[in-house]
Formats: sequence, C-alpha cells, structure tokens
Amino acid sequence: MASRFTKPSVNKNEYTHPPVMSPASFFNNIVPRSSHATPPPPYSDHILSIPAADAMYSSATARQEAVHRRRPMKWLATDDDGLPHDKFYKAEHQRLQAKQQSRNRDWRISMALFVWALFIRFWHIWEPASVVFDEVHFGGFASKYIRTRFFMDVHPPLAKMLIALVAKLAGFDGHFNFKDIGDDYIEPGVPYITMRSFCALNGALVVPLAYWTIRGCGHSVSAAIVAALMVCYDNGLIANNRLILLDPPLLFFTAATTLAWVNFQNQDQKPFRFWWWTWLMTTGLGLGFTLSCKWVGLFIIATVGVSTIHGLWVLLGDPYVTWHRFSRHFAARALCLIVMPLTVYALMFAIHFHCLPNSGEGDGFMSAEFQQTLAGHSMKDTPIDIAYGSKVYIRHIATRGGYLHSHPHNYPWGSKQQQVTLYPHQDSNNWWTLYKDNTEKVDEIEYIRHGDIVRLKHDDTGKRLHTHNHRPPMSELDYHSEVSAYGFPDFEGDANDLWRVEIMDHDKHDPVSKDRLRTLHSKFRLVHMNEGCVLFSHNVKLPDWGYGQQEVTCMRNSKPPKTMWYVESTTHELLPPNAEKVNYRKPGFWAKFKELNAVMWDTNQGLTQSHPYDSRPQDWPFLRRGISFWGKDFRHVYLLGNPFVYWSTTLAIIFYFATKLALLFVDKRGYKTDFRGELK
Amino acid sequence: MADSSLRQRRQPLDTKENAQQPAFSRNDIKKITQLQKQHELNEKNGHTILFLAITALSTFVSFFKIWYPAEVVFDEVHFGKFLGYYLRRTYFFDVHPPLGKLLLAAVGYLIGYDGHYEFNDIGESYEANHVPYVALRTFPAALNVLSVSLVYSIMKQSGYAKSICFLTAALVCFDNALVAQNRLIMLDSVMIFFILITVYSYIRFRKLRYQEFSTSWWLWLFATGAGLGCTLSIKMVGLFVVTAIGISVLVDLWALLDIQRGLTMNHFTRHFYARAVALIVVPAMIYLTCFYIHFAILIESGPGDSFMSSQFKDTLKNSATRMKALDIHYYDNITLSHRDTDVYLHSHSLVYPLRYEDGRISSNGKQVVGIEEPDINSWWQVLPATENEKADDDWASRTIRHDDVIRLKHIGTDWILLTHDVASPILSTNEEFTTVAPGERFNETLFKVVLEDPNNMNTWQTGMTAFKLFHMDTKVALWTHEQHLPEWGLGLQDVNGNKNLNERSNFWVAQEIQGKNATEINLSVKQTVKTMPFLRKYLELQGRIFSHNAGLTKPHPYQSAPISWPVMLRGISYWSKDETREQIYMTGNVVGWYLGLASVAIYSGVFLADLISRHRGIEPIDGPVRQRFVNNGGFFFMLYLLHYLPFFVMGRVLFLHHYLPAAVCSYMLLGAVLQFMFVDGITSPISNLQRNASAKIHRHTSVLDPMTAAPDRTSKIMLAIVLSCQVAMFLFLAPMTYGSPSMTVDQVLQHKIFSGWDLQFAK
Repeated sequence: MASRFTKPSVNKNEYTHPPVMSPASFFNNIVPRSSHATPPPPYSDHILSIPAADAMYSSATARQEAVHRRRPMKWLATDDDGLPHDKFYKAEHQRLQAKQQSRNRDWRISMALFVWALFIRFWHIWEPASVVFDEVHFGGFASKYIRTRFFMDVHPPLAKMLIALVAKLAGFDGHFNFKDIGDDYIEPGVPYITMRSFCALNGALVVPLAYWTIRGCGHSVSAAIVAALMVCYDNGLIANNRLILLDPPLLFFTAATTLAWVNFQNQDQKPFRFWWWTWLMTTGLGLGFTLSCKWVGLFIIATVGVSTIHGLWVLLGDPYVTWHRFSRHFAARALCLIVMPLTVYALMFAIHFHCLPNSGEGDGFMSAEFQQTLAGHSMKDTPIDIAYGSKVYIRHIATRGGYLHSHPHNYPWGSKQQQVTLYPHQDSNNWWTLYKDNTEKVDEIEYIRHGDIVRLKHDDTGKRLHTHNHRPPMSELDYHSEVSAYGFPDFEGDANDLWRVEIMDHDKHDPVSKDRLRTLHSKFRLVHMNEGCVLFSHNVKLPDWGYGQQEVTCMRNSKPPKTMWYVESTTHELLPPNAEKVNYRKPGFWAKFKELNAVMWDTNQGLTQSHPYDSRPQDWPFLRRGISFWGKDFRHVYLLGNPFVYWSTTLAIIFYFATKLALLFVDKRGYKTDFRGELK
Repeated sequence: MADSSLRQRRQPLDTKENAQQPAFSRNDIKKITQLQKQHELNEKNGHTILFLAITALSTFVSFFKIWYPAEVVFDEVHFGKFLGYYLRRTYFFDVHPPLGKLLLAAVGYLIGYDGHYEFNDIGESYEANHVPYVALRTFPAALNVLSVSLVYSIMKQSGYAKSICFLTAALVCFDNALVAQNRLIMLDSVMIFFILITVYSYIRFRKLRYQEFSTSWWLWLFATGAGLGCTLSIKMVGLFVVTAIGISVLVDLWALLDIQRGLTMNHFTRHFYARAVALIVVPAMIYLTCFYIHFAILIESGPGDSFMSSQFKDTLKNSATRMKALDIHYYDNITLSHRDTDVYLHSHSLVYPLRYEDGRISSNGKQVVGIEEPDINSWWQVLPATENEKADDDWASRTIRHDDVIRLKHIGTDWILLTHDVASPILSTNEEFTTVAPGERFNETLFKVVLEDPNNMNTWQTGMTAFKLFHMDTKVALWTHEQHLPEWGLGLQDVNGNKNLNERSNFWVAQEIQGKNATEINLSVKQTVKTMPFLRKYLELQGRIFSHNAGLTKPHPYQSAPISWPVMLRGISYWSKDETREQIYMTGNVVGWYLGLASVAIYSGVFLADLISRHRGIEPIDGPVRQRFVNNGGFFFMLYLLHYLPFFVMGRVLFLHHYLPAAVCSYMLLGAVLQFMFVDGITSPISNLQRNASAKIHRHTSVLDPMTAAPDRTSKIMLAIVLSCQVAMFLFLAPMTYGSPSMTVDQVLQHKIFSGWDLQFAK
C-alpha cells in the first residue's frame, strides 16, 4: 500500500538545494513554510515509532539534524539578523526546563515503584524452604556448573550461568542436586535465598522498566503507572519471579531491550550522535542477552527486526537521505542488531564450554568428537589399519546410540536369536572381529577394501552378525529385517552372515581411507549379500528385555546417514606395536558451538510429551489453567496470573485492533472526525 | 497490492480538469474499443487455431495408451475402493470431502460398473477382475485435457501474446507429473480442473468491472463461487484457492470503499453483498450439497462405521455395533476397555510396592492396571452408591444413566475400586487407583458415570456409549496411557487418575456383560434405522475429517518434505512390473519445474527492485507492462505461494503429488515472466472500458496509455527453445510416465537424473 506515498510532492528546486548549514539561515529553515513545500510525513505506526514531540519539527528529518547539529545556546548570542532571539531563547529554555522536571518526576516515580516491587517480591522469599517446580532443573544446573560436569539443556546458557555465579558467590559447593520437588533446602545448607533474591531482583526491575517504556512511547504518567502497577501486581509474575527459574532474567533482558529500542526510536531526529549509538548498541546487547537466556528471545529479535525494516523503509523513501547516508544507517543497524547479538550469543557459549571442562551426564547427547574435548573421555591412540582378523569397535554415526553391541540374551519373538543392539558405553560386548567370507584363519595382514565381503564375529559369544527374513521387534515393516547374532561352536556360518563393506565417505586428509577401511577415517555401510539390505539403526529403544538399548535392523532402500558406521578403535595381533596410530581430531569452538545448538534444537523438537499441567496458547490470555508449583501440608504455590491484569490486557488488545480497523475505515470513507490520534 | 496500484498516479481531486473528466474521454474509449475489436478479430483466428492445436496435442498426450497398465496403480487403491463403496452404498470414511469421489462414482454408475472389486493392492490385474478401468480413467484424463485448454484460455484472457499462451499451455501439457497423475483414477486431475475453472472465471469477472451488475458480470461472479465450492468439495486443498480469491476480493473491495472512488455506501454494500453471496454462500451450499448427496447414497453400514459416533451408526442399516449394544443394569458384571489404547481395566491381588525406586511411597494397596487381553480378573460389577453390599432387586432393574453415581466391585478379589490422593507409580502428578475391602472408605469409592453424548443416548450401554468415570471425592478421571509398569506390575499398563477431566483420552467403553449375548438379544428385537438431522451428521463427519487428517502422520516410504518438491529430489514409484521391467515413476518435467522455480525467483526479484526504486521516486518499468506484471503476474504468484507454502506447516504425511496444483500455477507465472522478459510491451487495456449505467458513478479508471504487444523474432526463438527443451525432457522421461516400454538397467540408470530418484530395476 505504500505506493500511495511513493512520490512526495516536493518542490524540485528545494530538492536539489539542501538547506545551507549556517547559523544565519537556521531561522529561515525552522520557520514553517507553506505546507505544500514539506514532504508528507512518512507512514508511521504508533505501536513502535514515536511521534516527534514538537509538531513544528516533525516534518523534515534532515532539517532536524541541521537543528541539532548546532547547539542553540552557543550561537544565539552572536546572532545578528534581528530575529527575536530572546523570545526563542526563553521558549527553548522553558521547554528544556519542563523536560528536566518531567524527567526528575519520572525518576522519582519509577524508583518508588521499584522499591515497592522489591518489597512485594522479597516478602517471605525464604518460603517454601524446599525445591519448588522447575527449581529442580535450574537449581540443578547451577550445581552442575559448580561441579564443572558437562550437561545438556535445551536452553542457552546465560541465565543458568548467572544463577550459578550467584550461587557460587554465596558459597554453594554444588553437592545438593535439586532432585525432586519438595526436597529440603535448610539441612544441606543451600544458599537458596541468595539465588532466589537474584531472580526476584531481576523480576522487580521489570516494573520500573515498564514505566519508562510507556513514558518513552510518549504516553502520560498515569498510563505508565497503570502499566507498571499491572506488572507489579501480577500474581503470575510474582510467583514465578521469586523462584530459581530462567524467566526472571529473561523477562528483565526482554524489558530492558524493549526500553532501549524505544529510546533509540526517540533519538531518530539525532542520528549518529552519542545517545543514538548508545541506545542502538544497548538494544543489540539486550537482544544478545535475551537470546542467550532462552530461544524465546527470538520473538523480541523478530519484533525489533520488523521495526528496523520499517524504519529503514521510511528512510529509503525520504528524498533528503542520500544513498550514502542510507547505507550508513543500514550498516549501523546491521552491526548493532545482527553482529552484536550473535557475538554475545557465541561468547556465552564460549564461557559455557570454559565452565564445563569435565565429562558429565550430557555426554550422551554429543558426538564422539565432541566428547573427546571433555576430561575423562579421551580415547587412547589406536592403529589406523584394519585387516582381516582385526578386533573392532563399530560406532553408528547418525544417532548417538553408540557401538554395535550384542549380549547373550535372545529376542523374545521373531527368530528368537541373540539380540544385536546399539550400546552407548564401552564394554567388552562391543568387540567384533572381521573375517573373510570363507575362512577365519589369519596368517598375514590383509587389508579390507571397499567392496570386500566380510563376516563379523562377536567376540564374547562367538556368534556372527546375521540377518534374515524376520521383521525386527520394534519396526515391524516390510522393508526392515531383524538383525541377530547367530551361530554355535564349530558352526561354519551360513550365507546370511555375509556383508559387503562399502566405503561411502572418507577423511579428505587421508586419501587411503577411500579404498581401504581405516579406523575413524572411513565411513562405511554394511550391505547384506542375500537380502540386499543395509545395516541400520535409529532412535527407537528396545523395551526392558533389550535393556532400553537402541534397535538395530537391516533396511532395504535406505539412505545415509542412518546406515553409516565407522570403526572407532581396533587391535590386531599381527600388527607391530609401532604401527601407525590415529585418534579423533578435537573440534574447535565453532564446531562445538554448532553441534551443541543443533542438539539443543533437536531435543527441543522432541519435547512433545504431555505434562499434566501443560496448556495451549489459546488458553493463556484467558487464564484458563494454572500450574501447581509446589504443595505440602495444605500450603500451595500455584502459578496463576492476576485475572484483572490478564483479562483487561486481553481486552485492550482486542480493543486496539477494533479501533484501528474502525479508524482505517473512517479514513477510507473520508469522514471528518475529531480524533486527534494518528490514523495511518 | 494487486489492485491499489492499478489506480496509482491518481491525480488529486481538487484539480479541476481531473475532477470532471477521466483520463480517457468518451471518444477515446470509443476509439480504443474499436481498435480493441479490430485487434480481437485479428487475434481471434490465430487463437482459435492455437487453442485447437493445444487441445488436440493434450488429448493425444493424455489418452496415449490409457489402457496400460491394466493393473491397479498407486492411489487407485484408495479411490477405486471408494468408488466401489459408493456404488454398493456402503458407508466409508475418507479424509477428503466427497465431490471428487462422487464424480468418479457417477462415471462408474453411468458405464454400469457395479463396484464389486475391492482394489486391494497395487499391481492387481483389472482384466482378471472385470473392472471397466479404461472408462473410469477416461474421466480424469478428459479433465486433464480440459485443464490444458483452460490454461490457454486463462493466459489469453489475461492478455498475453499468442505465443506465450500457446507456450504456457504446452508446458502444462508436456509435464510428466501431470500426465502420469491425471490419467489415473485419482482426484488431483479433477481438483486442478476446478482450480483452473475458478481462476478463469475470476479473471473474466475482473475484466467486467466497468460493466458492474450486468448479466455476464453476475454470471462470472457466480461461476467463480461455484468453482470455489467444487474445488473445496474435492480436497481441503481447495481452501488455498479460496484464500487466494478471498484476498483478491478484499483488496478489490478496499479500493471500492475509497471515498475518492465516488461510490456511495449503498452502492458499496451492493458490491459487498454480491460478492458475499456468490463467494461465500454459494460455495458453502455446494459444499454442503455434496455431503448431503454423500449421506443420501451411503446408507448401509460399512468400514467407515468405526470412525463415527454411536448416534451416527444408528442411522446406517445393519450396524454391527448396534447389534452388540446392551443396556447396563446395576449388579451386571462388565468389562471396561480404554478407548484410545484398547486395554481392559484389570486388578489382581498383587500390591503396589511400598516404596518405589525413586523413593516415593505408595499406598501398598492392590494394583489396578490395564491389560491387553481380558481375563477373569477384568470383570467388574456395577454397584449402586449405597453402603448396603447386598444385591437389591429395586436397584437391579434399573439401567444406569448419565451422571449416575456408581461403585465398581472387582469380581476376582471382591474388593471395591478406589482412588485417593496418593501419587501414582509412574506419574507423580496423577492419583493412584487401588481397591479396598468392601465396606471401607465408602466415600472414596464413588464414581460418576459421564457419558460422551448424553443428549443422544442417556443410557449407559455396552459397545456404543463411551463414558468417563469421575471420582466424586477428588475430582479425577479414570485414565490410562501407553506406559507400562516395571516388573512388580508384570509390565501391564499404568492406570491412574487424571486431574484434567476434559481430555479426550479419558473415555472408556463397556465391552461385555457377563452371561448375556448381545447379538442374540438384539436380533430378536426388531431394529429400526434412526434418522439424524443432516447438519449434525455433517458437523460430526467434518470434525472427524479434520482430526483424522491431522493424525495422518504415519511415515510412508515415499513421503517427502515440501522443500524438496520444486527441485524434485525424489519421485514416487507408482507401479512396477517385474516380468517386463516396466515402471511408472512420478516426477515432474525437470525443465519445466526448474524454470517455474526460476520464474518465482525472477518475479520476486523484479517486484522487489521495482518496489524499492519506486520508493526512491524512479519508475523503471512502463506503466501498462508494470500493471500487468504486478496485478496479473502477482495473482499467479500469490496462487503459487498459497498452493505451496502452507504445506510447510502441515503436520501430516506429504507427497510429491501435493505440489501439482502449485506446479500448474508456477507454469502460469512462468508465462507471465517470459512475456515480461522476451516480449516487447503488452496488449493493454484488455478489459472492456465501456461503462454501463451502474458503473458511471465511479470517478476513476485506469489512466494508462493503450499499448500493443510486439513479439519479435528473438522472442519467438527464445520461446521455441524453452518449448523444445520441455518436449525433449518429456519424451525422455515418458517411459516412466506411461509405464512402457521397459528399460534395461543402463537405460534406467541413464534416466536417474538425480541421485535421490529411487527407480526400480536400477540394478
């Protein structure tokens, strides 16, 4: 629709002669001219952009810059063109004084609100003196940080690290693990009051921030007080913010970013000046911090992003803004709103990795290379060459299920032969020996090459990797076959034990591994000779009889990556002890960063299990359901918003859209109204 | 966007000459009209020849060897089956609305097919089963031909050059995916046809905007509405074209509302109501009519019964569940099964361990669990809510109604079902169920029977009526979920009390009553088929369609992600025959689909560049060319996006053939982009500018200069190159489209253009 305004009716002469910047001509410029000479005000939407304070100044952006480039105080005294500068000075002085007064008043009110919010949030903060709801997780993460053991969580690290830092400073040693809701804090001496205080402080700060935001948007003091009080008195926020949760820091950063962005918008008449840069950078930092607390921060990024694009579009349509100047505007925003947040986000992960150098319960989520970077996980160097007769650990690539594994337990149905699974831990049942298709005698080193046909013998039970026309236990589909370990002493094996090694991918630094099976470097698949299917595994766990290990099948028409395997370590009797060795290449920061984020994303996607207190977004604005946080001896902590706040704000949103629609309609039909607000 | 820019460069109202006089004087319009007529006459002959040529070509391409393969191919399994159900009048359930299947069934009816064949598996022979499949396939194939002709007409009506019209229609004609899909007994051909009918009608309607409320204006408006209704009645995908037309109409109305347009509010409301009736009421009526016919035809109980409510099943003849239904009286022994997980409520003398592994404590009472196979311990006796344990004749004669309070006694142990505020073994938030000795803790053993649909069936019956069991004391519902207890619970399913009373998974069904055989009893009573108001039947079915469609998430080996469709990373193997090594593998024409994708990119690029330069006060494109590019091209662009992007947020299983409507739209967009790139100028205006009396009130009209397209030699050569590439690729892929002739391994490998194409017989 913006095309309506594409061609501003600017006088051509004026367009080619930008205002001359001299003190003398200043007055000529600010004296309002006949209205047709000024370009029409750019489209602006009063959700996000702030109407300029003074109607006289609001027309031409560039001219305003001229106004502010010169401090009126300095040159007014030397002005000599006979204008009534005394009057002007007086008016200007009064205006500044009023501004200062109103600012002082805002400070007083917001401080009072802050103190009051603090009181409300800190009241009885020591109760309940036991673990409440998700303190289980976030308190637990704090103790993991303090014990420096690696863990995995779906949220980025900043808020958790802040909580952990506070806990550490308060002398928490990490021995308490926040296992269950209701666990006592007093006896183990957990500094939970300090930790909660930090969160409550974050929550209380949102109240004055709300006040300033509304004021910054140009609304009245009373409007700002109402908004701040609503935040202050919302039971949901209070219940949530005084506990050890991620939401208080998240809310604080979100609110601070919003305020910074509003203030930045208010500086749009003075671009590239100190406060313009300050607020722009604060916004960028805020975005980074918010995103580093929870990925919900993407919503505020989207909000600021849309507002930025809108602002740039307006600048683009301003004939006074040259392409050069526009590109400066663009570059400044790109730097502060894209580069800065991403840097902050990455930095948080750098600190996170630095804090967690040791192996811990999060290992299982990460790839083998990643695990190598954690203390307690380093693998010994292993021979690089694999020949017939080599004992090998075969690891699955696509899932983190671990090693190809078998144990002396049978499938309860199907062929009822011995189970073959994936098992994440190192164990002697993971050893397989590679043999030729016809003999198990090994006299000399003969390397295994791409396309060779092999048999895999399970070391502990002496059975061979086998598949046949039975459906696997979990994936009972036509194109899956059960994989078992089959054989008995003195049995020569049968044709269903034969697998072809096909090297699909290899380490680019080791060209030999393309044709010859090499430890770690060759990524191969095992194709079954009879069935034509490929050894496969996926994130499906066997039930109790399979000890919850991951199912292994043989799949027809399958695709990489879930059919890809590699040898992690190997031994061979005939290899000399000084044979060439190999080990994992440890990933650098960016590789780790990328991997952890991918794992977080996948885990987040997988969080679909229902919870007794889950609720759908359409229920939230109407406060249809709360969450029981904690309950003991007929005392409860129940998260429920303040109905007055929730319902009135929901109504306000509906009212806003209805009004906007009505005003658009009125405008379109050209009705004259006395409405003083903006229509477009 | 599309419409407002049509009237861009509008002059301010207060300048005198503009207020009185539109940019075209009456003489001008006469002159233009004459020129238009002359031009039309010249064009007409050329268009007729090309139109006939493309129709003939398309007929040949669509009907070529339509009798082959004489076997069931891919989704013919479903639609052939449904067609049979219609002809046999047995009730079935499908996620698509009925019109497409009704049309197929109508064809079957007309050619005298009786619907005996079940279409069980891909590859079953038609000839052996005496199915008149060629006649059945003729219908979709014929609609495919008509679709190609419609694409030609749409481009012609949109005012593109003859060569562009022919090229676009030919690209559609020679698309392998459309040919492969549309000559089989499936719905896509029917749906694409109705989408195009809608688009065509709407374009005709838009062109008549200066003759508002004239007969032809009404005609095309209603044709659009009818097209929308029919498309929607074939597949829910019809909603996309409804959205597209809806957006265009809103933009149009918004422009009409503008005070500068000069319409009175009255006049505007007439416009509004005309569109509301034609584009909302008419489609809704058509949609409902289709369902009405659907219900009118399907009167026998059949495979679709199990999807419907008990009341619905009562309206069908010979309903099996109706036969099994029995009223439940007090002191009857019954079995209860959970509706979602199909396990029976069960108890035994094993107890919950006093302390669980995680340290929580249980009541140490007898376990209540879910078991898959009912046995002696799955029987429960329904007791009235009295402390008196003895059977009482007074109660025994009573049936149990909605909201009645009962107690359940476990027959095997003689103990009474109970729940209390103790955490259940698996979910600590839910309540534990156990049993107690008779006479103890009376208040905690009371449960309320809440029937699913008490307005219809107020009596608790076996088989038919799903119910929830609410605990009176603690307000939880009897519930179970697919989690099994550890060894102490014999691996049986966990049963507990759910605090969320409204969940759909709270429903249970009483299965049997001990000692009574329902079928015998009910056979002796004469069954009457009940009726149910049409709208309630419809609403129920519609609800099931939505929930079932969302639940279609079971993975399929040939499913694919929307992102891979336009680049055709993978096709679908529709059919193959081992003996002759022939196969049908559904993929689009690589040339056409990639060009279509390129046209989307070019269109967005040009549109954005134009937008930005106009924002800076530069107007790089000629007025009429820009107007057509933005309005008409934009319409095609929107159609394409609306038929493609929504799939990204759909949870259900998706297939390559869901992209076909979008592919047709991308061809039309490609036509528009090719015109923009290769043909100099555009024929404009194409709408009839002669206003009728009603339209005189409008203060504005297009103020663009008339212009004629001048296709030159270069443009024709470029278009010929595009077309010949498309035809060459079509012929190359044709063996996989028509399922013959057979190919050797080498040939198959040769045809494997992308590594993801999993062709049969590739080794």
